[in-house]
Amino acid sequence: MIAGAQPNGPANAALRSLLPVLAVLVLIALVPLLSPSNRFLSLAISAGINVIALYGLSVLFGQTGILSMGHAALVGVGAYTAAILSRDYGIGFWLALPAAALASAVFAMIVGIPSLRVGGHHFVIMTFAFGQLLAIVLTNGGDYTGAATGLDLTGPVTLFGADMSDLTRYYLMVVAFVAAAAVASWAIINSPYGRTLRAIRENERLAASLGINVGRHKIGAFVVSGVFAGISGVLLAHFLGHISPTQFASFPSIYLALMVMIGGARLISGPLAGGILVAFLPEVLNLDPVQSRIVYGACLIAVILLLPEGLIAGAVQAFRRLLARKPKQEREDPDTTCTTPSEARR
Amino acid sequence: MRAVDIFIQQILNGLSIASVITLIAVGVTLIFGLTGIINFAHGEFLMIGGIVTWLAVSAGLSFPLAAVLAILAVGLMGYGLERGIFRFTLERPTNGFIVSLGLIVVLQHVVVLFWNPNQKSIPRPLTTVWEVGGVRIASVRVMVILITIAVVALSFRMITASRYGRALRASVEDRDTAALMGIPVRRYITGVFVLGSALAGLGGALLIALFPITPFTGGTMVMKGFAVALIGGLGNIYGAVAAGLILGIVEGFSAGYGFSQWTDAYSFVLMILVLLFRPHGLFGGTSGPRMAS
Repeated sequence: MIAGAQPNGPANAALRSLLPVLAVLVLIALVPLLSPSNRFLSLAISAGINVIALYGLSVLFGQTGILSMGHAALVGVGAYTAAILSRDYGIGFWLALPAAALASAVFAMIVGIPSLRVGGHHFVIMTFAFGQLLAIVLTNGGDYTGAATGLDLTGPVTLFGADMSDLTRYYLMVVAFVAAAAVASWAIINSPYGRTLRAIRENERLAASLGINVGRHKIGAFVVSGVFAGISGVLLAHFLGHISPTQFASFPSIYLALMVMIGGARLISGPLAGGILVAFLPEVLNLDPVQSRIVYGACLIAVILLLPEGLIAGAVQAFRRLLARKPKQEREDPDTTCTTPSEARR
Repeated sequence: MRAVDIFIQQILNGLSIASVITLIAVGVTLIFGLTGIINFAHGEFLMIGGIVTWLAVSAGLSFPLAAVLAILAVGLMGYGLERGIFRFTLERPTNGFIVSLGLIVVLQHVVVLFWNPNQKSIPRPLTTVWEVGGVRIASVRVMVILITIAVVALSFRMITASRYGRALRASVEDRDTAALMGIPVRRYITGVFVLGSALAGLGGALLIALFPITPFTGGTMVMKGFAVALIGGLGNIYGAVAAGLILGIVEGFSAGYGFSQWTDAYSFVLMILVLLFRPHGLFGGTSGPRMAS
């Protein structure tokens, strides 16, 4: 279609899947020029924080084919790490980032090693149970975790001496983090490691027979998703200034899974689309929270039954089908979407 | 009260909670174990059973009639959802699981939309309290326990001894061969789903007879149901009853001796341990329904 995109090196083609996302993010970063309302900015910040976690989930679910119902718990580990570090040691935002990423990764490993041993559908139930357990432990943690009321965070977020707590600045920072998350997840997807994960997704036994250590890579993918979640948790804790256990129980995890599935877990644009759609759809349709949840639930069911790859992938496919009516040529896309129906069903 | 009286009291309280959990677990173990549908919205089925009971009692019906209505309504709902949604996910259980998560969100909030999120309760259908020695026995708890025993025994007999049960188990063993023997496998799947849903409806009616419920009651209950079903072994009604008893009594004791804040944790911990070390459950079950490769 576009002549410039034709020199079809695999790197070039891979880059093509990332560029639209970055272009959209640049547009999103320009939004403050329109002087949007504070409410809009807050919503967008929450959406962006979710999107960062969703990029981790997309590596786990979209690439490796493992569904976790405990992703919000990993976000929670990051958020509580940030809050406790800030309270006990006065450690601020930037140092909390690597610490929380590490904490969430370690927690993911602790959960992942036993959970992935049981395999199959039981894994999903295990992650769900671990998520609930974490919420119970946090609730019963006494003063250390602030029990059911949770923890407060004080202290501004600064960058090179500039106070980032202002909504617009925090917004821009979150957009930058989203871009970083998108690039990181893109890099993972297009690396040999990503290919290994997809091999496991498509056929575990075949992958094992090729010498791939399936168990270790699955846990690895889970840990990678934990890193994204931990960073998202730090951003969330410092944005809200207050965190409590219910934010990280299993139902928030369901909503995260819902977002990534509505957007499409295998596309690099999927998490971004899912996070934004779920955050802003109720605003656009003017729904109250109860109605919007009903709509989400119904959307999730419809997406799974009708467009198992998510809305974006569904739209892209419909578009391609329209194009394919004209001269039909097979184009091999090394990006992560799968166009063959047999793959799509998985 | 003497220590021994407190002990017996806690066993009785635990047994009535165990009854409701067992009813859910039997539904889960049948549906998950025999049809392969992972329906996490099963707890919401229970909650809706309770809501129907509440509506019917509020409208002036007697409790037994309300309970029957709850069973019918939830059974019917199960039929509709199986035909309309779950049968399209039979080949991909994970998709069925995700769909059920969507269903949780929808059902909870539809109830909130129509009947607000507050607690709902009905007057106790039986108010007599017997005093035996130092132990107070609420007759409503005894009623819940007896109904559960009767219903579970009936389901057990249906699965193990009747022609239909045999045909059902045959179709779990080998779907294709069973179909070749003239067993209408798809219809059996629907039947099991409806039976499990009806049990959840009954569970909801019994639950609201004991405690107030909210539209969000189903969430914790379903985890207990899955925990018990997995601990007992999938598809194994006997195992579900045994595991339900263990869990109910552990929870009763924990609440009675001052650890009530940890009550919900036991089922998760027990389930995680059982899945790790005895993936087929303590009492043996199907290895899960035709695990997707």
